[in-house]
Amino acid sequence: MAAAGASPFRDRTSEFASLSQTLRRIGGNAVAPPPSQSNDQVALTPDRSEFNKKASRIGLRIHQTSQKIDRLSNLTKRSSIFDDRSKENEELTSLIKNDVTALKMAISDLQTLQNAEIAERSYSGDRVVHLTAVCDDLKNRLMSATKQFQDVLTTRTKNIKAHEDRKQIFSTVVSREKPLKQPPNNVTEPPPWLSSSDSSGGNLHSSGSIENGVQVGNQLRRRMATDVNPSPQMEAAMLQQVVPRQESISQSRTSALQNVESTISELSGVFTHLATMVAHQGELAIRIDDNMDESLANVEGANNALLKYLNRISSNRWLMIKLFLILILFMVIFIVFIL
Amino acid sequence: MVKITALMVLKCRPEGSDPVILVNASDLSNFGFFQRPSVKEFIVFVGRTVAKRIPPGQRQSVQHEEYKVHSYNRDGLCALGFMDDHYPVRSAFSLLNQVLDEYQKNFGDSWKTVQDDNAQQWPYLSEALTKFQDPAEADKLLKIQRELDETKIILHKTIDSVLERGVKLDSLVEKSSDLSAASQMFYKQAKKTNQCCTIL
Repeated sequence: MAAAGASPFRDRTSEFASLSQTLRRIGGNAVAPPPSQSNDQVALTPDRSEFNKKASRIGLRIHQTSQKIDRLSNLTKRSSIFDDRSKENEELTSLIKNDVTALKMAISDLQTLQNAEIAERSYSGDRVVHLTAVCDDLKNRLMSATKQFQDVLTTRTKNIKAHEDRKQIFSTVVSREKPLKQPPNNVTEPPPWLSSSDSSGGNLHSSGSIENGVQVGNQLRRRMATDVNPSPQMEAAMLQQVVPRQESISQSRTSALQNVESTISELSGVFTHLATMVAHQGELAIRIDDNMDESLANVEGANNALLKYLNRISSNRWLMIKLFLILILFMVIFIVFIL
Repeated sequence: MVKITALMVLKCRPEGSDPVILVNASDLSNFGFFQRPSVKEFIVFVGRTVAKRIPPGQRQSVQHEEYKVHSYNRDGLCALGFMDDHYPVRSAFSLLNQVLDEYQKNFGDSWKTVQDDNAQQWPYLSEALTKFQDPAEADKLLKIQRELDETKIILHKTIDSVLERGVKLDSLVEKSSDLSAASQMFYKQAKKTNQCCTIL
């Protein structure tokens, strides 16, 4: 009977309103005094619509947030070690976090509003059930969205960690072993300086020389160099100079590698294109072959037919001679008869 | 065309005093015969100045007139390269690195004891000078990029020729289908003449 609140797709509020009016007329004043109820009704509908409006707004925002989470997951999947769109990722992450907290606040507001309303007026049981159902639904949706968000963040941190590991493999191969060898008071200063200079040297060598022997030789030389190293504090001051220079070197290397990567992928596209074209043309060749076979068969058949014709013509002469003989015979008999 | 004018290896003493030239190789073919000694002096002087100023364990590039001097100091042993502006910086430094490694492989630590400007003859350096006139030799990335570009051009040409082949195959298909139709007509005609006059 009171289906207006339960079903979200069929709006039967008008039926409900008419039903309640008839009931009131029948039931008299047992339910509630009409004027106060009419007041309540007048006040009910704005509250009800306000509640519904808020709930629908929250639902919309949840939907938008989940869309943003999807975009963030796409970004994290797509960003490789060189195509690091960390700024976008971080912006999006902070945006989503703000949205989630705002949504949480809004839902808690809604719930307090609902509780206040229930406490204020004595609604029917169905109305209470409806309000609680709406709130629960919104809360569940927000929870699933936050769970998705968490998954995306964990994958992102995993990716970042993998990238860092890969970078370390190529850049600070030496400096990882250094702190074990050096005396403790030198541990802090030389590794940043050495790692910054070794990173570029290591990068150059890893990209330039593939032979391990040369790399090992370099590492040995660098280890000797650290033992001979003078005051490390001086180098820390020069770190400021060193870092920007080597950043530009690594950046140039990064861009060059990206170029190479893109060129290679272009080449792979070209190759597949080529392969499809050749495959299509293979079909054409097969068609040509079939056509030629067919024409060969036709010509052979025609050849045979002509040969038979020739044979027939050449052999028929005997029959024709016999036929003519018979004709001449008949002519002779005819002439004999007339005569 | 990018060019290396000179390569030098020096020993940089810690503070103050001038660095000591260990090996020097230069390619002065661009200059007239009478300018060569002065250019050599210029190279020696600028090289000494730059090596004196460079702090150990660092790479620097100094612009001097139309040359760029790239220097790499590795714990007292300094390699300098005089290149023009178009030589890519990265390959310059990888070249200097290689030179230093080779030097240390060949001469070990004997350079530390050298006090005077003896220009040892090190054939590797002059070979390196000629070999690395092409920056792609020093920097593998450049080489790879260049080869990839060439491959791309070749592939484009291949695709064009494959397209032409497609056009020709198309015409062949047409002609072969015409031929098969003609042969079929021929066959039918021959059968017709054969079946007509059997009595006669």
